[in-house]
Amino acid sequence: MSSKTMLEAKNITKHYERKIALSSLSFSIKQGELVALIGPSGAGKTSLLNSIAGLIPLQSGELLIDEKPLSSYKKGKLFAKKVGVIRQQFDLIGPLAVIHNVLAGKLADWGVIKALFSLLLPRDKEIAIKALERVGLTDKTFEITSSLSGGEQQRVAMARLMVQKPEMILADEPVASLDPARADDVLAMLIKIVLEEKQTLIASLHSVEYARKYFTRIISLKNGEIFFDLPTEKVTDDLLAELYQLEGASSR
Amino acid sequence: MMKQLPVFRLHNRFFLTLLLLAVFVWSLFSIKWNADVFHAGGIPTMLQILEGLIHPDLSADVLGKGLSSAWITLAYAVAGMSLAVIYAFIVGILASGTLTSSRLARLSSKVFFRGILGLTRSIHELIWAWLFVAAVGLSPYAAILALAIPYGGILGRIFADMLNDVPDPPIKALKSAGATRIQTLIYGYLPLIWADMISYTMYRFECSIRSSAIMSFVGLGGLGYQIQLSLADLRYNQVWTYIFFLIGLVLFVDIWSNFVRKGLTERRRRRGFSTGWRSTLFTILLIIGSWVYITLGENAHLFELLSDKNIEYAKKFFGGLIGLHEKQPAFLDAGSWAAALKLTLETLEMSIMAIGFATIAAFVTVIPAARNIANGSLTLSKKWYNWPLYGFVRILYIFSRSVPELVWAMMIIFIFKPGLLPGAIALALHNFGILGKLWAEVIEDMDHRPIRNLASAGASKIQILFYGILPTVLPRFLTYILYRWEVIMRTTIVVGFVGAGGLGMDFKLAMSFFQYTQITLLLLCYMILVIIADFASESTRKAVK
Repeated sequence: MSSKTMLEAKNITKHYERKIALSSLSFSIKQGELVALIGPSGAGKTSLLNSIAGLIPLQSGELLIDEKPLSSYKKGKLFAKKVGVIRQQFDLIGPLAVIHNVLAGKLADWGVIKALFSLLLPRDKEIAIKALERVGLTDKTFEITSSLSGGEQQRVAMARLMVQKPEMILADEPVASLDPARADDVLAMLIKIVLEEKQTLIASLHSVEYARKYFTRIISLKNGEIFFDLPTEKVTDDLLAELYQLEGASSR
Repeated sequence: MMKQLPVFRLHNRFFLTLLLLAVFVWSLFSIKWNADVFHAGGIPTMLQILEGLIHPDLSADVLGKGLSSAWITLAYAVAGMSLAVIYAFIVGILASGTLTSSRLARLSSKVFFRGILGLTRSIHELIWAWLFVAAVGLSPYAAILALAIPYGGILGRIFADMLNDVPDPPIKALKSAGATRIQTLIYGYLPLIWADMISYTMYRFECSIRSSAIMSFVGLGGLGYQIQLSLADLRYNQVWTYIFFLIGLVLFVDIWSNFVRKGLTERRRRRGFSTGWRSTLFTILLIIGSWVYITLGENAHLFELLSDKNIEYAKKFFGGLIGLHEKQPAFLDAGSWAAALKLTLETLEMSIMAIGFATIAAFVTVIPAARNIANGSLTLSKKWYNWPLYGFVRILYIFSRSVPELVWAMMIIFIFKPGLLPGAIALALHNFGILGKLWAEVIEDMDHRPIRNLASAGASKIQILFYGILPTVLPRFLTYILYRWEVIMRTTIVVGFVGAGGLGMDFKLAMSFFQYTQITLLLLCYMILVIIADFASESTRKAVK
């Protein structure tokens, strides 16, 4: 695996009014790593992903993406080639046909005219079809997205990411609202694509089981701090039990 | 059902848009577009009107008159709405069928009372006013009843719908606990819809202020009366002063209804007077004040309405409408029908033009008018000009919707020659503000997550608009366009009164010449239009789904 550093966090801090979301986190992630973020609810997983995606401003500290500071990426196009985001199933425009939602991954490359014209006659159709083929949804190409099931919508979102082709994918609870069988299916597909495209993946997860099954490295957060940051095989059941222990009980 | 072709399924919205656009373009052909649409002195007059806007007459005399007329307008609206609520409450409950036991009784009660509500609301309040004035003379009660009847019809229908939409489980639970029908109504249905009923009534109250203002066009007092007098004297600066009073009144009701709504949602009980109690007390005082003013101040008595003289007039009037003493009633005459149907088509064209203009104007302005775009939370981009632009467009909306169509028409008619165009423009000017406000709220209420995701996928602002915002909001936008179009259809007759063409103009002539059967014929044509509008908008709505 290449040793390029894809993401580096230096003492990043974020707090909402008085509540601390992230307290001085530092870590670095190399290209091609599959990182799972775990931890109890409210530990700061979503805040961390949102700040990497540039959606929320940090109070202090620095984030380097592909060795350049986050702030140096002027909004939009260039950043979209570096970082892509996938969430539960709220990332799609429901009333649009599936193909347009997939092609939205191309918007960073397209001009306005091409984008408008594509709404009538889809442009770069082969790319979209190929992406849909890989997630097994070619028969739904022209369906209205909101008529698809949760698992199918999540696969459409993955097809969009394939079209967008970012170097790093941030996944925020990508399978939280799916039943176990679908969740396993979607996650396996995501990992397969990331490996094939040699992308980097950072995913927050509720399920420790999935984190151990699919990811190479696990970062756990607790109260906005890193509780442990270990290769998957070194994560023990004792550590996990301590991570999820309730506040009162932990001070034995 | 036949399976739709994928091409059609993918583009059905696009085809529908094209179709609607084509209908709009067709309506434009009803006008000869040349310099002839303007009056000879039309453009200078427009400049004078605009000058009056910048320098409204603020002399003590005019301000005093404005204040007292504003009070009359408010008092009529309050009194009318208080009757409307009583009517709507009783008939609405009956029309919902919640009090009936057997299936047959429920169905017949629903059909009968919903029919009554439909009939009362399909006729515009100004026409009711005209009918009442013709029947009982110039009494404040003519205005109050003219407001109460159509507004009661609108409110009653919504109340009935709300009662029918109440979730079933709590009602079943009450019934199995042995509650009677009246008890389930009081303990189950009413508490569940109480808040919605009040907020909808407040929203309608704002509309009734405008309706009350235009009651003066059949000779009753209020702000509209002053506007009419000043326009007749060509005192545009005074016209604007009274319009500002009207806008003030509408804003006052807007703020008041916000307080009422806040009182309804306030869950935590506070010590002393809560917002809810204060606004209830204020409402009661206002209702009492209005009725006291009307009975004492204007010396109008309900019993006078039923004097022998009035009953005689009313008999003659309604007898005339059904053609009692006429050999050749207009509604049985083929020639009259042909002429009236031509006017009906013109009125249809006018309404389509009006909603088309309003849609275009609202479409151009709505994006900066949404709060979540102004503060940058939707598209993740913030510019210095966002807030000033937001404020400007919002003020424009308030201004546009506060002035009733009829008042717009009266001013427009100084600029354009009588015909369909001034009517369409007047209707568009009023509805543009309403449409813009409703649309902006749709954008404000939309789910921002998919939009933000587009932004992080690198889409530009315009791309976000076409890939994210528009596909999400367009169905709702269309619903509002159709809803306003139905309202416009009802109102075309009113702008016709001041010479804006269509059925309304003929209606006024027939009224002035006491051609009662012609009035009946025109009312029939008008009902045809309302049915067409209902059908067209219902099927368009289905096509989008």
